Amino acid sequence: MSHNASLKPVGDSVPKIDNELAVGEDLDFQRRWWRFEKVVWGAFLVIIICDLVGLFGRGWLARAEVSTPDKAFSVEYEWIERANTSSTMTLRFGTAAIRDGKVDVYVSDSVVQDLGAEQIMPQPLMSVVGQGGNVYRFPANGGTASVRIKLQPVTPGIHVFRVQSAGCVPVTARVYVLP
Amino acid sequence: MDPAIPAILRAVFGYLFLVLTVRVVGRRLGKQLTPFEFILIFYLGGLTLTGMVGIEASMVNAITQILTIALCHRGLSALRVRSSTAMKLLDGVPLILMETRGWRTDTLRRMMVQDDDVMNVAREQGIQDLSGIRIAVLEAFGQINVVPCAPQQQRQNP
Repeated sequence: MSHNASLKPVGDSVPKIDNELAVGEDLDFQRRWWRFEKVVWGAFLVIIICDLVGLFGRGWLARAEVSTPDKAFSVEYEWIERANTSSTMTLRFGTAAIRDGKVDVYVSDSVVQDLGAEQIMPQPLMSVVGQGGNVYRFPANGGTASVRIKLQPVTPGIHVFRVQSAGCVPVTARVYVLP
Repeated sequence: MDPAIPAILRAVFGYLFLVLTVRVVGRRLGKQLTPFEFILIFYLGGLTLTGMVGIEASMVNAITQILTIALCHRGLSALRVRSSTAMKLLDGVPLILMETRGWRTDTLRRMMVQDDDVMNVAREQGIQDLSGIRIAVLEAFGQINVVPCAPQQQRQNP
């Protein structure tokens, strides 16, 4: 019967303490690891603070507002979003944006495709597709008015959207969707 | 983008992030589980699952993610065997908590181990007091091992 198994001589390479007990302690490595741990705990703390203040979306610093120079039309949104997490974009119309008891607003396709618009409140009277987006018409009876769009983006990345109220200059903004 | 790719990447990220977190949180995690550590393990697992699965609750997603994690685990294990540095990074190294000259207070403090923890282990081995301990080691897998003094080597208690 032949033994073909490869054999390695038995040796003890583990560092010993007092030349007797093989413990294998590497204090230099451990000190470097403790320094690394300190950095990691610091990073964890920074991440948590960033999250609390909204730098990862859904918080104070994530909220933003853009408006036309005359403030007749403004958009409140979150410039940092999280994928698969819902948020609300609010379109506010001043009296100058309301004409003949109605409001017409153009919303670019990116609001639906990239930012995942799921619901628009209130329901528009009519909608017209084309020109890279949709035009919605809402009834309005003077004063100020607002329309809410429920968003739930799926794809992480940087997405640019454009909205425009009839008679106002277009408003463009950028949204960072985190994974 | 192919929707399967993010799911697999999420699985890889979730696995590596957990490996780092568990390694940094401390080495008592795998051994000597206290109720606190049970909570930590279940909570970390549950929270990671939420992000990894996302909205794709399909069998295909589950299988591909499980296979991905299995592959990652196999890869890390292979790396650990081939490289002593990888082994130290993944497992840590044994640390002496107490030796003939006394307590390693810096190690005890940094590893959040108390002298009582060492004495608990010593008592399990029938050692009655600290003078009976020759060396106490916090192993890389999280257990404290105590080597007793030979009877003639017992230290004098102060």
